[in-house]
Amino acid sequence: MTSVAVAPPRRSALREFTSSVSTIMAKELRSRFRGRRAFGVLTLYLAVLAAIAYGAYVVVGPDARNQAALGNPFDGSGNLPNASATVGQAIFALLSVFQLLLASLIAPAFTAGAISLEREKQTLDMLVSTPMRPGGIVVGKLLSALAFVVLMIVAAIPISALVLMYGGAKVDDILRQQVVLFTSAIGFGVIGLFYSALIKRTQTATVLTYTTILVLTLGSLLVWRFWTATVENAPGAGIGEVRTAPELLLYPNPAVAMIEVVANTELEYGDFSDALTRLRGGLPLTCDGGVCFPSEPQPFEVPFVPQGGLEGDAVNTRIGQFAVAPQPNRGLIIVSDHFWPRFTISFWALSILLVLVSMRLLAPAGLRLPFRRRPRPPVGAEPAADEVPA
Amino acid sequence: MAPIIETRGLVKRYDGELAVAGIDLVVEAGEIYGLVGPNGAGKTTTMRIMATLLAPTAGEALVCGIDVTADPVAVRRRIGFMPDFYGVYDDLRVWEYLDFFGRCYGVQPSRRAAMIGELLEIVGLADRRDAYVSALSRGMQQRLCLAHTLVHDPDLLILDEPASGLDPRARVEVREILRALSGMGKTILVSSHILPELGELCTSIGIIDHGRMLRSGRIEEIERSLRASSLLRIDLLSDPRAATAWLASRSGVGDVIEGEPIGGLTRLELPFDGDATEQAELLRAMLEAGHVVAGFSQATSDLEEIFLQVTGQPAEDAA
Repeated sequence: MTSVAVAPPRRSALREFTSSVSTIMAKELRSRFRGRRAFGVLTLYLAVLAAIAYGAYVVVGPDARNQAALGNPFDGSGNLPNASATVGQAIFALLSVFQLLLASLIAPAFTAGAISLEREKQTLDMLVSTPMRPGGIVVGKLLSALAFVVLMIVAAIPISALVLMYGGAKVDDILRQQVVLFTSAIGFGVIGLFYSALIKRTQTATVLTYTTILVLTLGSLLVWRFWTATVENAPGAGIGEVRTAPELLLYPNPAVAMIEVVANTELEYGDFSDALTRLRGGLPLTCDGGVCFPSEPQPFEVPFVPQGGLEGDAVNTRIGQFAVAPQPNRGLIIVSDHFWPRFTISFWALSILLVLVSMRLLAPAGLRLPFRRRPRPPVGAEPAADEVPA
Repeated sequence: MAPIIETRGLVKRYDGELAVAGIDLVVEAGEIYGLVGPNGAGKTTTMRIMATLLAPTAGEALVCGIDVTADPVAVRRRIGFMPDFYGVYDDLRVWEYLDFFGRCYGVQPSRRAAMIGELLEIVGLADRRDAYVSALSRGMQQRLCLAHTLVHDPDLLILDEPASGLDPRARVEVREILRALSGMGKTILVSSHILPELGELCTSIGIIDHGRMLRSGRIEEIERSLRASSLLRIDLLSDPRAATAWLASRSGVGDVIEGEPIGGLTRLELPFDGDATEQAELLRAMLEAGHVVAGFSQATSDLEEIFLQVTGQPAEDAA
């Protein structure tokens, strides 16, 4: 047999890539889903989520019924239009936060060892010396590591959908929640994979991954807060002018994106809405015609609106209340699509960039492995095929 | 016919340190070529360059006529590589392990099942098909790893220390498998720091030390060229002084070392430039000159000896 007969027919770059991805995935999934562990973890996860949903119902339910019947004892006004929606909203908020937290813990755990473990177990050389492209290896590793996390998120959708039964969150709220969750899980996984390709030891890679996630979520919020604190009271700031640190800091922050998604479902101007409006650097609320919405940064003018400046007693009452204590009934649910789309775009961009860098790290240094290779005549007088004997 | 491996002035530098300092290596198709040298001599680096895991700092390496830096993927399709330190995916079954590498090399699904059976037969693991890799002994894992290099039916096998860490029986098994593979027409580049291991297996060897190729060629040629300058041991019953003086007058004889006489028997050791015929001639002339020779032998010049002569130091100590 000559080498030409031996070598498989050359396939298109895309087919080679997808076949590499499926090869790696088949092997990884084979060992990961073997036995009862995966089944057990998934069952436990769903049980915990269901318990959280039930817990929210137990805690919020009686309170919501009271409020619906008697009104809110704190601002003395707004009786809740729908106690059921309060319960639904509480479940939605809890599940969103909990699932995001879980994604940040689990996704890196699966990826931070994906490549460094191969290096530690000395299997990487044999893998890299196959004709598979580094890109296929990296993406295959990523997808198989994320497969379980994605399975967990998807399997939890029915529990998230409980919310639809109570009201308080709409289908598009759940869609937003899922987009943020998936984007976060993939991004967290990619960060782990990147460190796994960069760092020799799994332990170090794991520590760096969680540190990075912490910096992205809590770190950027803290920096933003301190920065804002220094600029908002800086000399020279105009009276009533609201100054904040650059908003860009918050774009790659999954926590901020989730705060926005949850804030969109709040029936009243609650904690999430308050956090969101502060993060947007606006006044807590701008109300117009009975509709309150988070404001863009603007001169501090709302509290100076004269009592009779707007039409309708209800509006005046609300603005009056707001000027004293910013806790009005929101009246209508206002949708804010500011942070989460920006987060989604920036996190995907970050993920793609890190995947590309990881591919580069996996390819042997100095050996160019272009995605599409030009056929090259063999160096030497004769074609390679003739040089190999039968 | 062009050689299957050809390197010209191969140089690899790590952080300024020279690991391979201009190696010219030629391996013809069908050979079993043994790369021998002390630890750190540059064997592994050379092999990793061939296996497209490292780029050479300078020089050229052609495998099957293809430049390893220009088209590494084409080279990978033609070689099977087994690194010196390797692990196995121990959470897979034996057949899954080979199936995985079959897929890595793009072996068609229809051919994979048959291929796995054949390979397990070759390496003697046919009855372990469904066992977990973790349940295999070290020697079996080594053979499995050897089998993985064959999934795509390559022309060339690059095996870095394939017998290291094995007990003598497992070593013999690996050697027999390599012989069988050679019989199937594979060219094999194999490395070891233990010479006798290669001596029984290889058709050619290259001795490398400090990143340089000291000797390279057919194994018999190397032995002959080195034996030409060998150490003779002569046990004398007659006067050693006279014999030493006589020997010193002969051409091709180096400084004679005279041992302590034991029971009238004195051992002389002398370097001698000459092949077997010349040795016989020396003995005949010595007897004719009236010296009483009780023993005349060449100090055993096996591969280990060659190695020491060429590298100038014991294999195990050199690093």
